[in-house]
Amino acid sequence: MAEVEDTLKRIQGYNGVIGSIVVNAEGIPIRTTLDNSTTVQYVGLLHQLTMKARSTIRDIDPQNDLTFLRIRSKKHEIMVAPDKEFLMIVIQSPTE
Amino acid sequence: MSNTTVKQKRPALKVAKSSKTLNVSSGVFRVNKSISKTINHSFSGKSFSSGGDSRVLDKSSAQTPKHTVQVFDEHGQDVAPRPLYNPDPGVLQPKQGKIFPAQDTSSWTTMTDFPSVAFQTTNASNTGPFTRSFFGSISASRTSQTLESVTDETKDLLVKQDLSNSLSDVQARREEVQEQVREDVLDSVVDCYLTETETIWLLDIPTVSVSEDSEDAEAVKERNNAYTELCKNRLGNDKYVERSMQTFNGAPKTKEVQCDSITMVDKAVMSTIWDMYDSFCNKSDVSGNTVVSDQGNKADVPDSSSMSKLDLNPKGPEQSKSMVSISSTVSGSSAQLEKMACVLLVEEEPDHELILQSDKFKQDLAVMERVILANIFQPKLAAYRQLPVIEDPDCVRMAMGSKNSPSPFLEHLWAFECGLTMGRNVSSMTWNKKNPDLLAVGYGQLDFKDQKSGLVCCWSLKNPTWPDRIFHCESGVTALDFSACNANQLAVGMYDGTIAIYNVQAAEQTPIIDSSDCSKMHTCPVWQLRWIDHESGLAGEDKGEILISVSADGRICKWVHYKCLECVDLMTLKTPDLATNHMKWNRTISALSPGLCFDFHSNDSNIYLAGTEDGYIHKCSYSYKEEYLETYIAHKGPVYKVTWSPFCPDVFLSCSSDWTIQLWRQDLQRPVLCFTSGQKAVFDIMWSPHCATVFGSVSEGKVEIWDLRISSLDPTIVSVTCPGVNPTGLLFTSETDCVLVGDSEGKVTVYKLRNLTDGGSTQVETLEDVIQSTLSSQH
Repeated sequence: MAEVEDTLKRIQGYNGVIGSIVVNAEGIPIRTTLDNSTTVQYVGLLHQLTMKARSTIRDIDPQNDLTFLRIRSKKHEIMVAPDKEFLMIVIQSPTE
Repeated sequence: MSNTTVKQKRPALKVAKSSKTLNVSSGVFRVNKSISKTINHSFSGKSFSSGGDSRVLDKSSAQTPKHTVQVFDEHGQDVAPRPLYNPDPGVLQPKQGKIFPAQDTSSWTTMTDFPSVAFQTTNASNTGPFTRSFFGSISASRTSQTLESVTDETKDLLVKQDLSNSLSDVQARREEVQEQVREDVLDSVVDCYLTETETIWLLDIPTVSVSEDSEDAEAVKERNNAYTELCKNRLGNDKYVERSMQTFNGAPKTKEVQCDSITMVDKAVMSTIWDMYDSFCNKSDVSGNTVVSDQGNKADVPDSSSMSKLDLNPKGPEQSKSMVSISSTVSGSSAQLEKMACVLLVEEEPDHELILQSDKFKQDLAVMERVILANIFQPKLAAYRQLPVIEDPDCVRMAMGSKNSPSPFLEHLWAFECGLTMGRNVSSMTWNKKNPDLLAVGYGQLDFKDQKSGLVCCWSLKNPTWPDRIFHCESGVTALDFSACNANQLAVGMYDGTIAIYNVQAAEQTPIIDSSDCSKMHTCPVWQLRWIDHESGLAGEDKGEILISVSADGRICKWVHYKCLECVDLMTLKTPDLATNHMKWNRTISALSPGLCFDFHSNDSNIYLAGTEDGYIHKCSYSYKEEYLETYIAHKGPVYKVTWSPFCPDVFLSCSSDWTIQLWRQDLQRPVLCFTSGQKAVFDIMWSPHCATVFGSVSEGKVEIWDLRISSLDPTIVSVTCPGVNPTGLLFTSETDCVLVGDSEGKVTVYKLRNLTDGGSTQVETLEDVIQSTLSSQH
């Protein structure tokens, strides 16, 4: 347990990481370093995108499944680790 | 051809229209045509108001000029266009005024038809019967009129003529008249009249006359006769019967029917390939009593199996309860699945801790961490892996002062360090045999003082900020080696002589096996460990991989793992007696000199070299433990490292605390080359796995890379470390051209060798040449 907390703390401390969010399947944040409104917004939007991505992968091959999703934008990169029970989101901006 | 009445003012309008058309058209003929057309259009309708019309008519009549317009050309001749139609003076013209109030439609039509009649009379030849009948009607109507006022008629005739003249009159006049008329007309009521179209002839076979002299004449005559006969016979003939039919139209009846309103229900099902696959696969699990209450994972199972399966599966009461709750939802959609999952979750308490502690979460966390670090370290890792380093287009990067010097240098990439390792001395480093990205680093003090607990960290290249595995050891770690057969086994040698084998796959802190129970365990620090693959074992010898260790208690031992580690002495490092020429062992005082290092020959695993604290290097045989095969004496201090060249089978290198590195050939008693730079003890050396002439050395405060092609006197690259920090270990990478340097502060720095001349081949010949030349120069 402490290990998990340590890892989460380390992740947040890395260079360029803006925020990290862990939510359960309902969308209730378990751990978040961003404010509530931003968290809710990210979760809502990324949840839908993840569903769509997973649907796409599995439509092509039902035995396949989505393991990781990275969205690179001009300003930062959003990394999503989806799962049935939780959703982990980390937003990182490019390092200089 | 029914003719309907036309309003009185119509003609005025028509006139106006015609005057317009007068302008447009060129020929008089056309004028008439257009007139007739316009008139025909207005042939509609039924009613008209007599009074008003007459008034209008009077006006119009008043308005129509009673004099003809005269046009004169330059010569004064009257060139006024004459009317096309000159009415026959004998023909009675119907009057406008008189006729109208008394009369009905027919007269009007005659008036209106007048121009058309005019038209037709001029073209009498074309439509013979047509005109004739028409004429007939006109004449009939005319006769119906009367002789009442011929004088009036003649007057009107004049008017008529004027009218007719006016048809061909000059435009200007008409315009004015027309303007005024229009004003009045605007206020009045306009009726629209519907007219019947002209008769459409469907069949018009004109009579054909055939001359009597022609050939067909007979046939025609006969036919004619036959026809007349037929006509004659027709009257009384039974062949022809007049018959008429009439169908009765049933009396219609309305009937009303009422029915229940049809309720419409929208139903939607999402059908995707994976949804179908899921339902299909989970179908087999349905019969296996899946507990529905678990997190809704199998919630889709009863859902997809749908109502038909409900009765098939004898489920417990709790399951049936959940089934009931599910049966109300629509089957098959994942959105529904989500909802159901949520519904079920609400029933149980959401356990955040469970999620945080689940394995999947930890895994994902690890992946996420690596991904983040990959982003951060991407250029460094790319340089490490010899991939082209691509600039990140989105981030603003300061132009790094890249060293473009042509001379070779070490480029600092990154350093493995974390809070745990700070302050510890790196004592040994080794790569995993199977996974070239995995590095095991042992931390432990090499001196007898300041002994702390040891630490073994397994670092992954993908995460330079935190080791993947951390093993705490009781005493300082002095030696490490990964097994080649079982790549997950890591042998650790410690300062107190213990040897432990860890399994790095699990994160357990306890080793698989420990040598502390063994009676013959080492009593002094284990300075080197090696897993040796003994394929070519002699009969009776063990085959497979064996762990060999050398320790400061002067023994080289072989460890075998049965139930516990068992130790067999391979060699005891006795001090050779130098007094006599042929090394005679002094049996009385058997002092064992501490062994510091050893290296097995790459080709022949029977032969190995051992370096001792005395400065001797002994060549020994695996199978013969009594005597050395050979002893190489050159060093004046403890030999810290001895390594065979990976390319040249006869050449080996040794380093010692007497500031020297010696290059030997195994058949020569004296070293071939001696390398010195600085006056510091050399702790570690290693041959480069890529180039036969390159090796690296680590001494106090300096990291040196030697390239024998360039110079054998000076190192090619010298990298000075920060003051106070001593590099203690050196490791080349087998895949890329990088070198790792461990120092006394717990950092393992990764450097990239830059601008080191790459000969292409392994330069074995070069090395041999160098050796040859050196030898020849010595003699």
